[in-house]
Amino acid sequence: MTLLLDIVTTAAILFIVSAGLLAIFGVLKIVNFAHGAWLTVGAYCAVVAGGLGLNPWLALPLAFAAGAVLGGVTERLIVRPLYARPLDAILATWGLGIVIGQLVTLWFGRDVQFTESLLPGTIHVLGTTYSLYRIFALGAAVVIGLGFAFLLEGTRLGLSARAIIMNEALARALGLDTARIRLVTFMIGTGLTALAGVLLTPLTSVDPTMGVAWLIGSFMLVMVAGSSFGALAVACLLFGGAQVLVSTFISPILGGITVAVLCALVLRISSKGFARV
Amino acid sequence: MSDTVTAPIPSAAGRRRPLILAILAGVALALVLLGPLFLDRFSMNVLTRSMIYAILAITVDLLWGFTGILTFGQAAFFGIGAYASAMLLTHIGSSPALLGLALVLAIVVPVLLGVAVGWLSFYYGSTPIYATVISLVFPIVVTQLVYSGGTLTGSSSGLVGYFGLPFGLEGFFRLSGICLVAVAVAALVFVRSDAGRLLTAIRDNETRCAYLGLNTQRIKIALTATLAGVAGLAGFLYANASGVVAPENTGFVFGTELVVWTALGGRGTVLGPVLGTIGIDYLSANLSGELPFLWQLIVGALFVVMIIFLPNGLAALVTRFTRRGRSEVVAGGGPTLVPEKPLHHMKTASGPLLSIERLEKSYGSQKVLEDITLDVAPGELVSLVGPNGAGKTTMMRCLTDGKERSGGTVRIAGQDIAGMIPNQIVALGVGRKFQVASVFESMTVADCLRMSRAALEAPSFVTASDALGLPPAAIEILRLTGLDKLLATEVSLLSHGQKQSLELAMVVSLEPRLILLDEPTAGLTKTERTTIGAILKKLTSELGFAAILVEHDLDFVCDISSRIVVLHQGRLVLDGSVQEVVNSDIVKTIYSGGEHV
Repeated sequence: MTLLLDIVTTAAILFIVSAGLLAIFGVLKIVNFAHGAWLTVGAYCAVVAGGLGLNPWLALPLAFAAGAVLGGVTERLIVRPLYARPLDAILATWGLGIVIGQLVTLWFGRDVQFTESLLPGTIHVLGTTYSLYRIFALGAAVVIGLGFAFLLEGTRLGLSARAIIMNEALARALGLDTARIRLVTFMIGTGLTALAGVLLTPLTSVDPTMGVAWLIGSFMLVMVAGSSFGALAVACLLFGGAQVLVSTFISPILGGITVAVLCALVLRISSKGFARV
Repeated sequence: MSDTVTAPIPSAAGRRRPLILAILAGVALALVLLGPLFLDRFSMNVLTRSMIYAILAITVDLLWGFTGILTFGQAAFFGIGAYASAMLLTHIGSSPALLGLALVLAIVVPVLLGVAVGWLSFYYGSTPIYATVISLVFPIVVTQLVYSGGTLTGSSSGLVGYFGLPFGLEGFFRLSGICLVAVAVAALVFVRSDAGRLLTAIRDNETRCAYLGLNTQRIKIALTATLAGVAGLAGFLYANASGVVAPENTGFVFGTELVVWTALGGRGTVLGPVLGTIGIDYLSANLSGELPFLWQLIVGALFVVMIIFLPNGLAALVTRFTRRGRSEVVAGGGPTLVPEKPLHHMKTASGPLLSIERLEKSYGSQKVLEDITLDVAPGELVSLVGPNGAGKTTMMRCLTDGKERSGGTVRIAGQDIAGMIPNQIVALGVGRKFQVASVFESMTVADCLRMSRAALEAPSFVTASDALGLPPAAIEILRLTGLDKLLATEVSLLSHGQKQSLELAMVVSLEPRLILLDEPTAGLTKTERTTIGAILKKLTSELGFAAILVEHDLDFVCDISSRIVVLHQGRLVLDGSVQEVVNSDIVKTIYSGGEHV
């Protein structure tokens, strides 16, 4: 039973962490390799909120705002000149990740920081005692997933974004302000990533390089998922599940690479990954 | 022959090049041999490491700068080489024989893994980003395996305390320096050789390479495997010189650092990445004591700025001054054209050259081509006409890519092309000219033509030859269009019509039996059009090529064709002589916009 809960909640956490990257990759076709840095920024927002004595939950909107503003600046200055050079965009955002990481280090030092837990304690579910926070993470993943579904299917921005995904040139010819939609999408993606950083604080230690560990996994999941949140959810469940199983029964170290290896194999077999799901 | 008369400047430069390289190598060797006399221990230690890293940067540059494969995986091959050496020396011993074995293992194991990684990364239809993805996953897997290796790999603390080559600080400095110079010279000679141009060709236009009969996947796998071996050698040096190997040596973060150094130095220049790596690594070691985070911050920021504004790195600033000639049209110059006897490399087959039977292509339920049956014999010039959307280009695709069609059979010289990929079909004797001229933009006219011979005669890995052997027909095209005077000019400077002619000359240089031409005269002037028409007529009626031509200009078609095939809404509606087609009512109806009868 615990295993089942582990699988579902691990998948949920992977989904939360990857969602922002997917939003950007899906619409902009740009891999934001500074993704890890935004997770870090979000986590440090929680540290700052704690330092100011604020309610830990206030870190969520704070991180979203900080992430979105930083994302806006990044899109304008770094990503926009590189839309035609996607491989260079990977490199430039990676460089940005280094810069952000070092800035965080200069500001806060390289030591591990501690934050107040958002939801301490355990809960009785399905006959076992389980971490309350991980169950909450599951709920958060569902909310984020549904939120995106609504944003894409139910709003004008989502309609425009879908138009750009399908045919950018046509979307522009039809008078859509593609530059603005890209900016907004990037801001939403980075804001959400910073928010995910806050949500990670009770689960991992907070230090300037914490984001890198999450970068590869979420990058691979996004590659497999293409531009579909449904596909991302499926990928998170499958590969997150595999990760839990390998970690539990074989070795936690090998569990750490399960997601990346399986995603690479899936892509080798079908270059579109799960995008057709 | 007249090469010294027409082109004194470029060919003289070509001859001066080996001399410059030799002088450069001599100076570099002197520096690394005499270095220990002037350097303190700290600098020597750091520079030994920097020079080993510079070897890796060269491999990254060959893959990324020249071939366009962005890779983070060289760190893993390096780490594997280092661990292979260190594990052998730690667990078995370090006799001279074992040291030799360690060297062999440090190269062979990465090469084998390089083949595996290459096979995984490069297959027909794989995307550049996928190769990058694999190059990311690979070092992560290797690092995790090192972590889970227990005492075998030393896990997170790495391996230390084994006995390597008995050289001492100065010895290792000199050894690393000599290896670096050797690798750099080999890389420079290779990229300037005829074979080395292949890398740039793949980066510029991989599709065109495939349609020149080159197996680009195999080339990229071979390159990956070879450079994995070089990285392994660097790993061996590192394991011996530093006396310690750690999981970080295999990791993807180190892989990204290599890319950063290569980018800052200047990708695609070999020397740029070497200087970039040594400079940054040396400065890092000196500055990181005082301002550790600020220094990395500066490198990171510089990297971002560089990628955006100066993607070719600091070396681009230098070459901007030295290579001004490259961005101008060079009249004359380049290699000498040598007419070659036809190779007749394809065995002749009886029966029709091309035989299409009930060809069908559909996207879902939408049928684009249906029930096309057609034979083409040597010497025929068949024009394929029909309104936009009739399926002409789709049909061309089905003839050159065995995975494209949905039904029916296509035989070339009697052989069914089902499942074959373009370079295999080209080997059967098919040449395809695309609708939009598909050439290598950053290469010279001569280099483009050389590429079209690369699949027929293996190019040299060492020399850049002064002669360019082409079939007489190709040389005639160059003469008629004036391209023979522009051999040393970069293709991006040519006019639209010149590019079209160049592509035609490249396709003819393949010595195909069947040429497929997709609107070869679109956008050309009347004179250019007449020239191309005359060439096509000669190729087919005199030299026995078969040609299929997609064309909209009916006057042009009537002038040169021996037969006309009319496609309409994916079906073949008429197949006959020029007279029959011109006078047919169906054609008049189709072209005047009426309904299909």
